[in-house]
Amino acid sequence: MKKWILILIICLALGFTAIGKTKVTVWFAGTTEALMEAVDDHLVPAFEKANPDIELAVEYIPWGELSTKLTTAFAGGIGPDIFMHGQAAIAGFAETGVIMDIDSLIDKLEDPEDFGGTLGVGLYRGKNFMVPVFGSGRLLAYKEDFFIESGLDPDEPPVTWEQLRAYAEALTVYESGRLVRAGLDIPVSAIDLQQVWTGFLIANNGALFDNDFNPTFNSQSGVEALEYYVGLIREAKVASEYGLTPIGNLEPIAAGTAAMCFMNNESLAAIKEYSPDVYSKIRLAFPPARYGRAAFYSFAGFMVSSSTKDLEATTKALSFMTSKDALIAINTALGSLPPRQSGVVAEYIANDPNLMKFVEGSKYAYGNPNVPFWVQARDIISKYLERAIMGVMTPKNALDGAAEEIRKLK
Amino acid sequence: MSGAGSLKRRITVTALIFIAPVLVYNIIFKIVPIFVSLFLSLTKFSGFGEARFIGLANYARIFGDSEFWRAVLVTFQFSIEVLPLNMLISLLLALLVNSGLKGIGIFRAIYYLPVITPMVAASMIWIWLYDPQIGILNFLLSLFNIPPVNFLRNPNTALHSIVAMRIWRGAGWNMLIYLAGLQGISKNLYEAAAIDGASSIRRFFRITLPLLRPVHIYVLIVGMISTLQSFTEMYVMTGGGPLQSTTTVGLLIYRAAFDYMDMGYASAMSFVLGIIIMTLSVVSFRSRRQKEAFE
Repeated sequence: MKKWILILIICLALGFTAIGKTKVTVWFAGTTEALMEAVDDHLVPAFEKANPDIELAVEYIPWGELSTKLTTAFAGGIGPDIFMHGQAAIAGFAETGVIMDIDSLIDKLEDPEDFGGTLGVGLYRGKNFMVPVFGSGRLLAYKEDFFIESGLDPDEPPVTWEQLRAYAEALTVYESGRLVRAGLDIPVSAIDLQQVWTGFLIANNGALFDNDFNPTFNSQSGVEALEYYVGLIREAKVASEYGLTPIGNLEPIAAGTAAMCFMNNESLAAIKEYSPDVYSKIRLAFPPARYGRAAFYSFAGFMVSSSTKDLEATTKALSFMTSKDALIAINTALGSLPPRQSGVVAEYIANDPNLMKFVEGSKYAYGNPNVPFWVQARDIISKYLERAIMGVMTPKNALDGAAEEIRKLK
Repeated sequence: MSGAGSLKRRITVTALIFIAPVLVYNIIFKIVPIFVSLFLSLTKFSGFGEARFIGLANYARIFGDSEFWRAVLVTFQFSIEVLPLNMLISLLLALLVNSGLKGIGIFRAIYYLPVITPMVAASMIWIWLYDPQIGILNFLLSLFNIPPVNFLRNPNTALHSIVAMRIWRGAGWNMLIYLAGLQGISKNLYEAAAIDGASSIRRFFRITLPLLRPVHIYVLIVGMISTLQSFTEMYVMTGGGPLQSTTTVGLLIYRAAFDYMDMGYASAMSFVLGIIIMTLSVVSFRSRRQKEAFE
């Protein structure tokens, strides 16, 4: 009997302890083990020690399930107080009122000036909706041993579009009509295709949209960029029109089936982890220029739910999770690019010339536009670009078709 | 009289208590969502905030949406390719398993294994099988000096490749249904036919196949409902590409709801798909009844 009373008292005590705390729910995107370890083992205990009245409940959602889970959770009234998402999602969430503008919270972040220009990626209609957590860039990656084998100097990567095509042709290997090694592995479908082609568009003085969100990518610059892109595949045949398949987590360049590609830092981190020998032979270069250079960079960050119950506690959690130390811990775990200037000097970047190159490459950065219908527009652009690559439509017709379909979304 | 009435009432109450869990489950998770999505199909709703009533606008939009009708065609093509082959292979497997050969139980278990494999896992396995570089299918082709085929990225092969996976995965389940049907056929019929000199092929076509007709109808309708709702395998293996050649209605509904936050339109598409499936099921049932009445 006494035992049961004791258990009851302990349960009640624990219950009251929990009741006395404010719970802040944070959803991280991604399920990388290193990230979960850094957050669960270090950041959460440190935050709860500093804020004994707040319980931080962290969940990790795979990127592919993030939108689905957020939609169902918010519809059911159990959405998180803070959640991570890509900057492309800002406009949609802001328009539907799911997230609040955080202009009034910026001053409460640790040293907000340290973010420099990256805080601007969260701007939508003049208001800030996201604190960036990590960045991702896309640069031209190439294998130096393939360069040497093909008589090219690995210290002199291609710097113009013409050189890019010439280098890719020199690096491509066919055997009995079969593509054995793609000179330049470029995406042929989905989001990757849109991102890489947009780089060519911007380097050719083009733009996706004007200030009123009208499509402008079907301009002469866009058509030229797509003709060049399609030409690499269908005329120069330096890549497969069906694309190359990654082997597990590894890009074709790591498997030796491609000599160059436009690679992001996450893919490079995977090669470093799973295939260090190959990693030592991979070099990075800024994307070749036409009128200018353009490298796709994007940030994911924390957004705050409009329905958060205790804004003060949520602000504390947001401030802690985006502090200098927390962001270094998160970015070290992910091997990603830190949004804070202080993060650039972090050990994991300073010791890795490739990551340093990504940091340098940010001067050529372009990102996705913050338009409310962006996700749909992006899929439409990808769909029509794929049609041009497959030879079903001419580049001009494909871009005009995409622009016409996007105009109907407005 | 009152005793009989009381007994009847007690039986009714007991029956209700027994079916209550299933009834409550069906009401909460099936009936209510149907009505909720019917309501949503008449609204503009992003999944957040208030739903705005817009009448039949979503349904009108469907009729002008070429992507939807293209997806309907892809879905039908998928279903038409899967069902006959699936039924044929399942029946052949069931005949084999029913033959009473020694050790056939092991094969029965092996044939059933794909059924208990989750669709995502099965899709991943087949992605590897189809891989142009490390896939076993391309390895086999290379033995005959055939260049590698990018099965899932080529618009001419992508849908058929998923069809093959789906047949592999579904055959075990239908095999069991056919097996149950085969074991329900009286052996006396076969013995009598054998005495009359009927060959085994004649016995199959004159006894087995006709008596399995209810099983055929069941397998056809259940298979049709399942294939017309296909989503996971397309989502995992091709994402609906290349060139939308594997974009089914299920995938389109998912995208509208969760990628584009267009819940109202997604609900309307679900209802149209539901009506198509219901119509086909009713037609199948009716044609069976008419045939039985005729005979």
